[in-house]
Amino acid sequence: MSVHDAIPMPEQRGGLSLRKRRLIIHASIFLGLIALWEICSRLGWLDPLFYPRPSSILHSFWLIYFQNANVWYHLYTTMVLVLAGFIGGSILGIGLGALVGFNAVIRRFLKPYVIVLEATPRIAVAPLLIAALGFGASSKIAIIVLVCFFAPFINTLSGVVNVNEERLELFRSLGASKMQTLRKLVLPDAVPVIMAGERLALTAALSGALVAEFIQRDKGIGSLILVYSRNLNMASAFACIFTLTILGFLIFRGMEWLDHRIAYWKNEAGMERVAAKRAAQMGDLNV
Amino acid sequence: MNVMASQPSKTDSVVGAQGLGKTFGGGAVVALEDASFDIRPGSFVSLVGPSGCGKSTLLRLIAGLIERTSGNLQVHGKEVTDPRTDVGMMFQKATLLDWRTAVENVLLPTEVSRAVTKEDQKNAAELLRMVGLKDFLFAFPSQLSGGMQQRVALARLLQTGADVLLLDEPFGALDEFTRERLNVELMRIVKEVQATTLFVTHNIAEAIFLADQVFVMTPRPGRIAKIVDVPFDRPRPLSIQTSPEFNTLVAEVRDILGEDH
Repeated sequence: MSVHDAIPMPEQRGGLSLRKRRLIIHASIFLGLIALWEICSRLGWLDPLFYPRPSSILHSFWLIYFQNANVWYHLYTTMVLVLAGFIGGSILGIGLGALVGFNAVIRRFLKPYVIVLEATPRIAVAPLLIAALGFGASSKIAIIVLVCFFAPFINTLSGVVNVNEERLELFRSLGASKMQTLRKLVLPDAVPVIMAGERLALTAALSGALVAEFIQRDKGIGSLILVYSRNLNMASAFACIFTLTILGFLIFRGMEWLDHRIAYWKNEAGMERVAAKRAAQMGDLNV
Repeated sequence: MNVMASQPSKTDSVVGAQGLGKTFGGGAVVALEDASFDIRPGSFVSLVGPSGCGKSTLLRLIAGLIERTSGNLQVHGKEVTDPRTDVGMMFQKATLLDWRTAVENVLLPTEVSRAVTKEDQKNAAELLRMVGLKDFLFAFPSQLSGGMQQRVALARLLQTGADVLLLDEPFGALDEFTRERLNVELMRIVKEVQATTLFVTHNIAEAIFLADQVFVMTPRPGRIAKIVDVPFDRPRPLSIQTSPEFNTLVAEVRDILGEDH
């Protein structure tokens, strides 16, 4: 259950530590690949039109971020979209998941629809949503809500349903009310699995936003990539894609951080932090 | 009827049962049949027998977790209908809440019944010290060993303030050495808090070592075959288990349980 400390790396006496040596090897491989790409492009083995060289991608980064500075607006637009869709999808997913989880009757009759919905690629519904809601932010957000609602829904549902029988019996033996059992047992118990669903949802939200922007290419990083590709400005398109890579990484790390904060009992640092907090709150416990 | 070594007077009974029975599946499975007994205040009773003998069923009936199908059952002279605050239960698994520190786990029973005060917190800390966890008040369950988790569960049981303690193979999942140590401590602690204790086990020596009375139970249908009195004073040392008197009792219980045990 608990996250144990990593096995300490054996230190090399006199030389570099294993960790440092590995870091150097990683860096060399990365730089080697970049160099290989650049050389292949310069020698004419890779068509620079479709596979721009690293140096020109780097130049494009400078163009779109500083010289033209046009990427900021689109990045901001996409981020707002992702956040709005993610929050909407989360509220809907967690809310419905909890509702369905607590009510066996609803669960029974909703199950076939859940299975159908799970089997359908939800992105396929995107054009329909645009037809129904029209062009604009609302249909884009609706698409994101649709693609990122499912993971929190399923995870909340399973988290709420799979409550440990023995713990339930403990709460019964203590004479706890339904509401107390819910607040003190079922919900906290479901938190880690709900957070796992939220991680998946945020990744899905980013993909959903891009698809939405591919369809409605008025603004956002997705439409920017589309425009650059159409104009065969591949270096700038790549710069946008790598921007998304960095964004995706930051989102992943951010969610990981949030997960560690919220599901604190799943990691040593979190337990230490909360234990210290509780000790301070309770103060002197000597009789 | 059950053969009883001594019939305690009715007024002296904390837990009393007359012809108590429980069937499952509309009578298809007889989990417990015709159990009659009176348990004296402050006494320690072990329920011993193979699986299916109804020992856990009897405990759950007393806890008010399941409803009886026949007979009568009283705790402190009042018929048992629901879980109640004067009866506390401890399970084979510690069933601690992973997201709570030890002291917060101990406080759970209080939280369920009312607002927690500073005194409650101090009491919970004191109970953790009593079970030997003074340095682990703010440890999380995942940071504790199996034996320590059961100590927290025991402190939580005591925090309920119940004077009837029901323990369902509480140390059954632990290794032999830890179990023995916890048994000795359990004996000291229940004496200290003057609780009436019912202890389920499938280990004959453990049942006799801990108890004033051993309910020897047999399966199909589950019933109390005999109530054996244990004449030694409590608390008692582990070494008593090697005495001839002790081994005579073990032989007696084994004899009742038959060849298959």
